[in-house]
Amino acid sequence: MTDNIIIPAGDSSKLLLVSAGGNAGFPFGKEFCGYSVLTDNDFSCRMTLSDNASAEILVLILPGADSRMDFRIDMAGAGADFRFGGLYLCPDRESPMINAEVVHKMRGCSSRQMLKGIVSGNAKVRFHGKITVAPDAQKTEAYQENHSLLLSDNAIVDTSPQLEIYADDVKCSHGAAIGKLDENEQFYMRSRGIPEQEAKVLQMISFISPVMEFLPECDDRAAMSEYLEQTIRTAF
Amino acid sequence: METDILLEIKGLKARVEDKEILRGIDLTVRRGETHVVMGPNGAGKSTLSSVLAGKPQYTVTDGSVTFMGRDLLKMSPEERAWAGIFLSFQYPVEIPGVSITNFIRTAVNSKRQALGEAPLSAAAFLKLMKEKMALVQMKPEFAKREVNVGFSGGEKKRNEVFQMAMLDPVLSILDETDSGLDVDALRIVAEGVNTLKTPEKSTIVITHYQRLLDYIVPDIVHVLKDGRIVRTAGRELVAMIEENGYDSIG
Repeated sequence: MTDNIIIPAGDSSKLLLVSAGGNAGFPFGKEFCGYSVLTDNDFSCRMTLSDNASAEILVLILPGADSRMDFRIDMAGAGADFRFGGLYLCPDRESPMINAEVVHKMRGCSSRQMLKGIVSGNAKVRFHGKITVAPDAQKTEAYQENHSLLLSDNAIVDTSPQLEIYADDVKCSHGAAIGKLDENEQFYMRSRGIPEQEAKVLQMISFISPVMEFLPECDDRAAMSEYLEQTIRTAF
Repeated sequence: METDILLEIKGLKARVEDKEILRGIDLTVRRGETHVVMGPNGAGKSTLSSVLAGKPQYTVTDGSVTFMGRDLLKMSPEERAWAGIFLSFQYPVEIPGVSITNFIRTAVNSKRQALGEAPLSAAAFLKLMKEKMALVQMKPEFAKREVNVGFSGGEKKRNEVFQMAMLDPVLSILDETDSGLDVDALRIVAEGVNTLKTPEKSTIVITHYQRLLDYIVPDIVHVLKDGRIVRTAGRELVAMIEENGYDSIG
């Protein structure tokens, strides 16, 4: 999918972009919790937000998907808001690439990015996230987080967040973290009779829960949770 | 024929990293008994509970531990839980994103599966959960809370006691060596233990808080010092320690 989208003043747009790999069972065809659902392997999207416009893009990279995702978001109107959330589940030899560029051109805009993933086997994930804040973009708030769990010795995450800030009255932060499953948590669960593999699954579900929090409260949220939980259970 | 002896520890030695902490522990627990292991800081109390629960960072260097006739040291932490051992943690771990309901249901059904039983139906499980929550005075809204996340000390302890009620262990080991002098937390644990007590089950309380022993009355008291049990006696030992300190023992 390649698209050039302009969000008019005061309007909003919500997209859920899914790279399904070979997974036939993704339960949401067209719509999820008010998001339009698009399914493809690669996504390239340029969005321009006008005054007080808002946009949310969620990406889901499922096991087996080798996707290329490229986003350029221009906050071209004052008071616009952009949220980007995503999950990548790469258990084997996937090598997805995600590039997200957010440019704050006008004052008073806010952007928030939260991308998490679980990487195992020989998979390699590349994330590049750049936030640019122009000199006139005062009162900008821009945050970016990328957290990955590495479950095997060969799994690789290559993450490079970037902040280029030219205004002086802003709140910006970025953080990238790479970790493994906590053994104390595992021991606690195993001491209650939860087998080691199941304990790891619970830890992985716990790990992705902030991305679930990103989703709005809606009737389908539980079904999405269950689908992701089942995917994690079988893939890792 | 069921033996009376639940746990038999003989000559147990254990180290963590390079340091030898347990230097030869002998301890026997029979059904229906409440044991207390007391001792000064650094005696090896937490090491003992960790070794019994199978915590990975600890290495047993000598001795044996038999639980209901089985070699406990050969069993994984989950196998020990299935066999009927429960360790109440000093510092219960937070598991964000996992609800108490989900967590305990997984634990209960894992045990049932290991023992060749069918998992509980959703209805049967909820009924059990409701019953046990009421028994340990846990508020119903906790069912939805993430495990231990944002819990006060007392709430974490109540959650431990709740898990004990749900999993119905034969031997409970309470590691209460550092509850930060939270009297409420100690009382919650004690009430839970007393509520769940039966003639077939046993408890080992590992503590240095004499106050806890106002609520949980022990049958047998052991004093642990420098990795060894230096004295075993009845509950009168508690008052002796209170009066004269650990230096007067062993």
